[in-house]
Amino acid sequence: MNIQELLSASRVKFNLTSNNKLDVINELIEVLNQDGKLSDKAKYKEAVLRREKEFSTGIGMGIAIPHAKDSSVKEAALTLGISKAGIDYEALDGSLAHIFFLIAVPAESNDVHLKVLSYISRKLMHQEIRDRLLSATTYEEILAAFKE
Amino acid sequence: MKLLAITSCPTGIAHTYMAAESLQMAAKAMGIEIKVETRGSVGVENEITPQDIKEAHALIIAADTQVDREPFAGLPIINAPVQEAIKNPKGLIENAMNAKKLSNPDENITTSKEPEKKNKPSGPYKHLMTGVSYMIPLVSAGGLIIALSFIFGIDAAKEKGTLAAALMDIGGGAAFALMVPLLAGFIAHSIADRPGLVPGLVGGMLAAQIGSGFLGGIIAGFCAGYIALWIRNYVKLPKSLEGLKPVLIIPFFSTLLVGLLMVYVIGTPVKAIMDLMTQTLKGMTSANAGFLGLILGGMMAFDMGGPINKAAYAFGVALLSSSVFEPMAAIMAAGMTPPLGLALATVLAKNKFTPEEQEAGKAASVMGISFITEGAIPFAAADPFRVIPALVAGSAITGALSMLFNCALRAPHGGIFVLLIPNAVSNLGMYVAAIAIGTIITALLIILLKKSPAK
Repeated sequence: MNIQELLSASRVKFNLTSNNKLDVINELIEVLNQDGKLSDKAKYKEAVLRREKEFSTGIGMGIAIPHAKDSSVKEAALTLGISKAGIDYEALDGSLAHIFFLIAVPAESNDVHLKVLSYISRKLMHQEIRDRLLSATTYEEILAAFKE
Repeated sequence: MKLLAITSCPTGIAHTYMAAESLQMAAKAMGIEIKVETRGSVGVENEITPQDIKEAHALIIAADTQVDREPFAGLPIINAPVQEAIKNPKGLIENAMNAKKLSNPDENITTSKEPEKKNKPSGPYKHLMTGVSYMIPLVSAGGLIIALSFIFGIDAAKEKGTLAAALMDIGGGAAFALMVPLLAGFIAHSIADRPGLVPGLVGGMLAAQIGSGFLGGIIAGFCAGYIALWIRNYVKLPKSLEGLKPVLIIPFFSTLLVGLLMVYVIGTPVKAIMDLMTQTLKGMTSANAGFLGLILGGMMAFDMGGPINKAAYAFGVALLSSSVFEPMAAIMAAGMTPPLGLALATVLAKNKFTPEEQEAGKAASVMGISFITEGAIPFAAADPFRVIPALVAGSAITGALSMLFNCALRAPHGGIFVLLIPNAVSNLGMYVAAIAIGTIITALLIILLKKSPAK
């Protein structure tokens, strides 16, 4: 299970500056784009917003997982953002979101990446892992949280 | 107890797995075994096997995509959006644990794979048969108890406080009053499971009260079932209200809708039909006797307790007070032949009836000789398009013969019991002949028209 490959140190942002849903999506997409994972930033953003329109990916428990599977993505990539203050992401339970996983998957994706994503998704359901992510200050601590 | 679950979301990247994990964590904390099949972009993982289905108590489908229910026939299914499994896994598991098994899933799985499945009653016909099968014992019990009360004399039940009156209350006042509600209730139950029962019962009760008889009850049952099913499947509520759905939302709205439908949409034409029939019959008092008998006879068998039957019966009773006794004789004879003809048919052609119906045939014979036309209802309800024409034809001929033979009857009920009273019936021999001929014609037509039940 190679999490580093999907979530490199360059795509972890510990102090998100945004304070609303749209801004935080832009902020995360910017990180992803600067890391060279997107071929068409605008198109990817559109796909993410379209998904949000169907149903907010603010799944509660302080987590949001904006995501899109789109041809504008060069290769599967995760971007992690953490906001200590919390951002209103229209969560199902009404709580503020602190942990943001922006998931980018190309239209044609290999199963290995999808398996890693499903593994991470499952991990996020565990309280102790969310607590460790929130208190993490280094990339190593993030990786360690998932590698339990 | 073992539970099964399927999780799925449109993109299949994250929610599917979060929901699965969430359910597994909650089940673990509650000490319950659960197997969760994930249908994500990776494909189906941890797939549910037929063996799992056999062992399982219930299935949770937490999906925002279409999941085929066919393989899980017989298992209670808890439906929820995928988010619900993430947010409230414990609630879903509790619902699944409380769900009642519909039937033995073991049987269901094996039969659904057998090739003759196609011949099994399915769709609306299956629901109708389910309702009828619940109604049969009620009709038999009620009918026989009414017949029992006639043994004390045909008017014995009119004396308050007597055993005969008690028997009439049990059979007629209670058992027969439940007949149409029960039929409608279980048709609806067959369609929509538990949510269907209440609107079905209420719709059936209204069908009886507005005088639309068992045909109105069938309509009520189907309306109730499909309305309840529709509300259950398509009305989405905010999460906080979802718990109220089975206990408040579905019963309230489905019952209200069915009730209004019965009172205004069904009730109005039923009353119109009855008024029209009553008017038409009044104009026919001077018509050709045989023709009048034919019409009256046919009307008696058409809806057995519905508006057409009632109009004919009321016409005969009204004429008694003006000392015109012939139409009453025709009416009673025509009301006896439907159950008698069916009883004869079950004896002559066993292969055309289910074992259940063959038993009901015996009770029908007793009801027939007692002029309890309702004995024919289970048969007519189960296969209305074939049975009703046969009954109508036999009854019409009996009615016509009775009129042509100048038979007269001085009591509005009683069946064979009234025949034993001296002078109650004139031209007794020919009267019995008219009933016998009608019975035989009814039986032969039923055998001719009816198909053998699917095995």
